[in-house]
Amino acid sequence: MKDVTSPAVSSASDRRPTAQSAPSESEALCREWYESYGGAVYNYFRFHVPLIDVAEDLTAETFLKVVRARDRFDPLEGTPKTWILTVARNVLVDWRRRSRLRQYVTLGTMHDLVCDAPSPEERLVREEEVGRMLDVVATLADADRELIGLRYGSGLDTAEVAEILGISEGSVRTRLWRVLGRLREMMARD
Amino acid sequence: MDRALGGVRFRPRASLGPEVLGRLRRGERSEDAVPPRGLRPAFAAVAAALVLAAGTALALRAPGPVVVDRCCYDLDGGGDADDGVVVIGERDARVHQLRIYEDLDGSGTFTPGDLVRLDRGGSPAMHGAPADGLVTVEHCCLDFDGGGPADDGLLVIGVPPDRVVMAAIYERPAGAEARPADSDGFLLR
Repeated sequence: MKDVTSPAVSSASDRRPTAQSAPSESEALCREWYESYGGAVYNYFRFHVPLIDVAEDLTAETFLKVVRARDRFDPLEGTPKTWILTVARNVLVDWRRRSRLRQYVTLGTMHDLVCDAPSPEERLVREEEVGRMLDVVATLADADRELIGLRYGSGLDTAEVAEILGISEGSVRTRLWRVLGRLREMMARD
Repeated sequence: MDRALGGVRFRPRASLGPEVLGRLRRGERSEDAVPPRGLRPAFAAVAAALVLAAGTALALRAPGPVVVDRCCYDLDGGGDADDGVVVIGERDARVHQLRIYEDLDGSGTFTPGDLVRLDRGGSPAMHGAPADGLVTVEHCCLDFDGGGPADDGLLVIGVPPDRVVMAAIYERPAGAEARPADSDGFLLR
């Protein structure tokens, strides 16, 4: 995984905010980044983490981290979105080391699911369906889960996923195609 | 599959953004933030000492969410030992979610399709209007919070045979024979 904590060499450092800048500047940056990418980061975690409050903690952790390390962001190496999601990946890896939680528990843990079901019953069915899908995703190998989390959780396009994973866009497409096939089979068996 | 996964969206609660800003304002550090350079040698020494001193214990009892699923007891007063409890929380500490279910498929664990009698969040509270005929069921002692020792009690209040209005766990301190009668009591989680 890319080490996002090592200082980046950049000719654009003068355009970047510095670690010593006023709190209001870091707050403004935090607000701007959260408004732009908060949803992507949160959804990335929700594809991997079954508990809402844990996903919230990890999201908060990610933004605290990126704002504090903002002078290490190099716009020449990528967009804020891919950089922030790279940090989110590291946050998730740390959390996994600390946590034993794997199973996706569906009932009552999905009130953050965006769903336009007209009745509570239909919503429950939808929650169960999504929970089943994410349960199956949870059984994939780590690299495949990562691919699904970045592509569908964060909503990144294949070029952005390729940038984060450090592989070619073609490889992302091929791997994605295989993983989706496997998921389809597993869902059919389930 | 592509469409199905692409259609899954979660919405973070509206207050999460302001909360992150508040934490930033208060100067909270992220968990593995790099300490200032001057502090690094001292920090490393202290960290090494801590790791040496508590390494084994930490390895055995790493913090983080745990799921405990215990089955099967008669928790709803229905007469059959076919009820289970799922506790999702921080090991030996906080409860995030507690669910009482009826193990309909006899799997001995919670599975989709089991009947959920009660599903609550982080705090114990009465669910539904108070009713006549409330019965309290207590199970002690098992490990309900993933802490290791079987030192937790489970308290379930309901109206038999199928209504559960409150459920909570508590930790029994070592040596305590019964729930204390004084007002401090055992803290329900």
